[in-house]
This record gives sequence, C-alpha cells and structure tokens, in this order.
Amino acid sequence: MNLEAEISKMLNHEVMKGVTLLDIFIFAVIIVVAVIIAKIVRLNIRRALKEKVPKTTLVAIEKLVYYTIIVIGFIVAIPYIGFSLSGLLVAGGIAGIVIGLATQTVVSNLISGLFLMAEKPIQIGDGVSIGDVGGVVKDIRVLSTTIRTWDGIYVRLPNEKVFTSNIYNYNAHAARRFEYKVGIAYKSDADKAIEVIKNLLEEHPLILKNPAPQIFVEELADSSVNLLVKIWAPSSEWYGVKTEMLWKIKVALEKAGIEIPFPQLVIWKGEEA
Amino acid sequence: MFGKYGLNEEIKEDGVEIKIEGKEKIKRYYRKAGGDEIEKIVSAESGNLYVVPVEPVNLPKLGVAEHLMIEFEKPYIIEPSIEDTFYLKFPIEVGVFLVDRKDVERIDIFTMTKQKYTLYGSPEQGIICRWWKSDIYRDKPEVEKLHEGIMRVDIKNSYREWVEVKKMVFRAFDMKIFYNGHAYMHAYVNILKKTMAETAFNSRKPKNMEASIDIYEAKGIKKLEKKFVMEWGL
Repeated sequence: MNLEAEISKMLNHEVMKGVTLLDIFIFAVIIVVAVIIAKIVRLNIRRALKEKVPKTTLVAIEKLVYYTIIVIGFIVAIPYIGFSLSGLLVAGGIAGIVIGLATQTVVSNLISGLFLMAEKPIQIGDGVSIGDVGGVVKDIRVLSTTIRTWDGIYVRLPNEKVFTSNIYNYNAHAARRFEYKVGIAYKSDADKAIEVIKNLLEEHPLILKNPAPQIFVEELADSSVNLLVKIWAPSSEWYGVKTEMLWKIKVALEKAGIEIPFPQLVIWKGEEA
Repeated sequence: MFGKYGLNEEIKEDGVEIKIEGKEKIKRYYRKAGGDEIEKIVSAESGNLYVVPVEPVNLPKLGVAEHLMIEFEKPYIIEPSIEDTFYLKFPIEVGVFLVDRKDVERIDIFTMTKQKYTLYGSPEQGIICRWWKSDIYRDKPEVEKLHEGIMRVDIKNSYREWVEVKKMVFRAFDMKIFYNGHAYMHAYVNILKKTMAETAFNSRKPKNMEASIDIYEAKGIKKLEKKFVMEWGL
C-alpha cells in the first residue's frame, strides 16, 4: 500500500503549474504511439504504392502522411503539458487561412497529382495531347507533369491543368486506326484498285491481320472515285506506318495501270440554235 | 546451321551466309539472308559464335509484340475432360550470339519467314501478337529448318463442354526453344472455359537436342511467371 501511495504521489507531483509527472508520461506515450503508427502507415504505403507511383512521388506521399500523423498526435498530446488548444486553434486557424490562401494552387496541384496517379489516364512514355500541348510524357510528379513536345520542347504542366483538360492518350490502347482517301479515275477499275491495295497492305508486317484493313468506294466525287483505306496498326508504330504507306499505295496503283487523276472539269461548248 | 562455331568459321546454308573474317583482333561480321545483308565490326580474341533459333517476336522491331499467335488452318474441336497431343509449325527467327565465359551478346537477328502482326482481344484491352498460321499435325511435320520449327502441343480440356479452338497464343517470355537440325518447343494448353485457356512451355531439354540461348535470360531478365492466360477467346 505504501508503495502504491508513493507511486501515486510521485505521479501526481506537479512539475510545472498544473502539469503532473503523469501528464508528461501520457504526453510522451501519445507521441511515441503516434510515431509508431506513422511508421507502420508509411511502411504500408510504401508496400502498396511501390510499383504504382514513381519513387520521388512515393517519398513525398510517405513524408506527407508520416508528418500529418505525428502532428495529429502532437495536437492530441499537447493539452497534457499545459498548453491550451483553444489558443493554438485560434492562432492555427488564422495561420491556416493565410497559408491556405497562399498555397491554394499548390494544394490543388497536389490533389490533382494524387488523383492522376490513382486514375492513371497517362503514363510515362505515352504519346498524348493535353489541352493544346502534344508530346511524350516524360515525368509525372506530385505537383506537375512534364511533356516533351513532338518538336522536342520541354513543357511543364501543373497537374491541376492536366487533370481538368481533355486528355488524348495515343498509347493507352494496343492498336489504333488511321485512314487514307485515295482518288482513282472514273475509267479505272475500282475492284482492281482495291485488290492492289489489299495485297500491298498484306505484305506489311505492322499492318494488323486482325482487325483487317478495310478498303471501299466511299464517294463518287467531282474528279475521281474516292476509295477509303482504313488501317489498324500497333499504337506504338502507327505513325511510321502511316507516313510510309500512302506513297507505296500511289506507286502500286500506278504500276497496276490505275490512274490517280488531277481535279478536272469537262466543259461542253453549246451549239447555236 | 544451328550450333556453336569458332570465330573464323564460315557458315553457308539454304541461302544464308554468316562469317566473321579477320585474323587480327578487329574482325568483320557479315551476314546475308535472302536479300538482306548486314555488316558489323567485332573486336574479339576469344569466344564462340552461336547461331540458334530465338523467340519470333524481335523483328521488324523489338518491343512491338511479346506474344505469338498461331491460328489453325481448320478449327480444332475437343471433347470435355480429355487430353490430346498434336504438332504445329511455328515461325522462327535466327539469333547470332557472341559468347565467352563471362557474357552472351546478341549481335544479329534475322528471319526467312514473312512477318505479320495481329491483335488478340479488343483494341482497348488486347495485345499485339506475332501472327502465324499452321495446320494441325498428328505426327512431327517436315519443316523448312530456317523458316519454321515444330511445336508439340499437349492439350487438355478441363471444361465440362466441347470446345472449339481456332488459335493459340503463347508468351515469348515463357518460350523454351531447343534445336538439333530444326527448332523445337513443347507447349501445354489447358482449356479452362469455352473462351479461356492457359498456355505454358516445358523447359526440360529433350534427348539429342540443345537448348537455345534465351534472349530474355541473356538480357538478365529473370523469368517468374510461367503461364499465359488466353482470356479473349480461343
């Protein structure tokens, strides 16, 4: 009984005004528990996101979560050592409003960045158009996304802009389609032209077997019969195939005796009555 | 054609010519296959040249596809809960490697076959595959050795209904190619549903055959997954 009384007396001994040894002990325990929880959460975040987000972003997310938990622990613990939370809250509130206003854009970019990483509409290496910027995604960070434009210029886009813009991702799917319009003369045989183009496309390794190319007469135009050629190619290779094939189609058609006409107008000279 | 050669040997077979010339340290690598020719400068004193069949997904450009689709000339229908064995022909690419005690370096890949790619699955979710068409053979077929290899397929229908199979898709990453005169692979196909199957390869070396150089292992990539799931139709 004496020992218990002694311990109780010791714990209730005031070290500062209104702060006992027990209060300091509870404060220390809360801080230690907060640090342990923060470390466990950080470890789990690292495991969960290791393969999903870039290393620099992962470190930033880890730090944000780690220090947020510790700050929460500190706010819970601080009344035990005699600091008034109401005073802190008022000061913190005012400071929060000021900081919030000042960092509104930063926070918006940060949140957009986190959503981009979760939703993954673009990935590093993808060919994209975001708003009026087109190019290859070089990096996706917490606050910004960097693009190398098609003509080799470095562009840094704030994540808020990326998140709120229309995104066209040219590599999101395995295959994509492109098309040509090829005009042949009215006197030429359209079936033969279709056969010539079909055989030519069959020879190209990167023009997909399935979905098969489609070639058909699309329009009886003023100066030509227009064929539409629709071709599927791997998304990573379509541009090379597109730039290669149109001239080859022209050469193959000419070799087969099929004329590609210039625009022409037939004028009938009227006879006097 | 397939096998191990010294650095100064000249190989000529079926329209293919491979040689490394030069007695000094600096040598000239020359290869001609069909109308395609290539030359490289090689600086080597020791080592060997290996000419072996490799996974047929490297040409015309590495990275386009990692899978091989073999479409059957005629659909194959299999009864529920039975196992069967047949043979297919598959396209090969020929890899030329420089090998010494420490390292394996791929110096050339060529093919004598027509290359064509296709999409397996939908454009949104599918994958690009090297495409090939083969008959189904009950016995080992004759093949043009520099064009095609023989694939033994052990197929099992684990589904409760009859299943029609028109194609098979294999992951190049899983392939294990062997050779003597011709290239050879042994695949397992397990049908799980009407539209789903697993494909895998036997990595055990058959008698009287040599294991080819695995491009992925030569690149230092460790193989973990061993099966590919065909989930977009058979």
